[in-house]
Amino acid sequence: MTPAPDPSADDSAPSPHRAAVPLTKEPKGPTAPGPPGHHAPPLDPTADERGSGHRSHRPWSARRVPAMLVASVILVAAVAALVDVVAVRAGRPAAAWRRHLADALATRPVGDIWMLVGAAVAAAIGIWLIVLALTPGLRHWLPLRSPAPGVRASLNRDGAADLLRDAATRVPGVGKARVRVRRHRVKARADVRFRDPQQVKDDLTAVLVEERDRLALARPPRIAVRVRQRTD
Amino acid sequence: MTPRTVLNRSLLALAGLVLLGGGLLILFAGLGLYRRHGLAPPADWPLTAADDVLLGSADRARWSSQGWWWWPAVIAILALVALLALWWLLAQLRRRRPGALPVGSTPPQEGVELRDRALSDAIASEAGALPGVARAVVRITGRPAHPRTQVRLTLTPRAAPGAVLDTLCEGPLRTAHRSTGRPDMSTEVRLRVARHKPHRAE
Repeated sequence: MTPAPDPSADDSAPSPHRAAVPLTKEPKGPTAPGPPGHHAPPLDPTADERGSGHRSHRPWSARRVPAMLVASVILVAAVAALVDVVAVRAGRPAAAWRRHLADALATRPVGDIWMLVGAAVAAAIGIWLIVLALTPGLRHWLPLRSPAPGVRASLNRDGAADLLRDAATRVPGVGKARVRVRRHRVKARADVRFRDPQQVKDDLTAVLVEERDRLALARPPRIAVRVRQRTD
Repeated sequence: MTPRTVLNRSLLALAGLVLLGGGLLILFAGLGLYRRHGLAPPADWPLTAADDVLLGSADRARWSSQGWWWWPAVIAILALVALLALWWLLAQLRRRRPGALPVGSTPPQEGVELRDRALSDAIASEAGALPGVARAVVRITGRPAHPRTQVRLTLTPRAAPGAVLDTLCEGPLRTAHRSTGRPDMSTEVRLRVARHKPHRAE
């Protein structure tokens, strides 16, 4: 969990000065060539001061839906059992489901296939509930660097993907771009209509890194770019 | 985490442990794992062999002959479980709102209160006017002593989330928190982006 983002952690970027690509459609030239390994500081001027002060966590889900499901199941089971127990105490015969259940529990040994299947299902649901209880959830929300104490912000993944895709589409030579955002990695695939694919790929990487830094994510994902030449 | 989150997660973990424990108990006995691995379960272990049953007639007879108190106790426990489950279910549907917030820091101003709706509407209208924000929905939740702000913003397609977040904190949120005298009121901001077709217009 390192708060300081490193724009150099990209899979595919041989160009050392990729951070200096203009967004406009002019023919590209390295406008601000820095020394190799040095990243243009205006890319991320406030990252350190903003990222270091307050830790940003993914928000923890309240787990309302699983809680409602479990509560409903318990409620239905308890009310059914209660109604039937009271009815039997009042002198009426037990309900059919209760007799079936008691019969099955009394006659089926635990080695019976149905008992084993039921037990396996129960154990699996149990594991799932424990996982739900212990994990944060909200995997579609990417935490952002917290700008002030007490403020926690997150951006949803679809929104991040849309913004990155728009940025990719603005790169000269890119015809169509698809961007998938995952929690630790952004995968961009683009069709190159004109220009040298390698150059387009470098530009695309630079633009995506820049756009990613505008998102101010607490843990900036790595960016992987794939280009494909399309001239039809 | 809010109290409801803690409650939900604790109860889910408890339910999960009960299901997992029961399932494993049956699986161990049903597959004969104790015998196969030479394990000796403790003396009163409920299920040990594959031909055991969960609830034999001897068990039933033993439980129902406990005395006059047995069935009233069962009814009471079932009723309690049903009530607790109902309360847990309803707790998911309820949204706790502070109603009125005390204004001013310590000590709060006597007799001056701010409706939570007024505060959230003020934040929402100010946030909705920020550049890059298409829509803002604000809710104040929690108790009057510990209110929380929930901000949901829909950004325009050209917005920069980091910049919008900074202006939100420096503008509407700071104003609101200063005017209520709570500079560090806990706030959750969720950003999404208005859906749109890919476009390249500058």
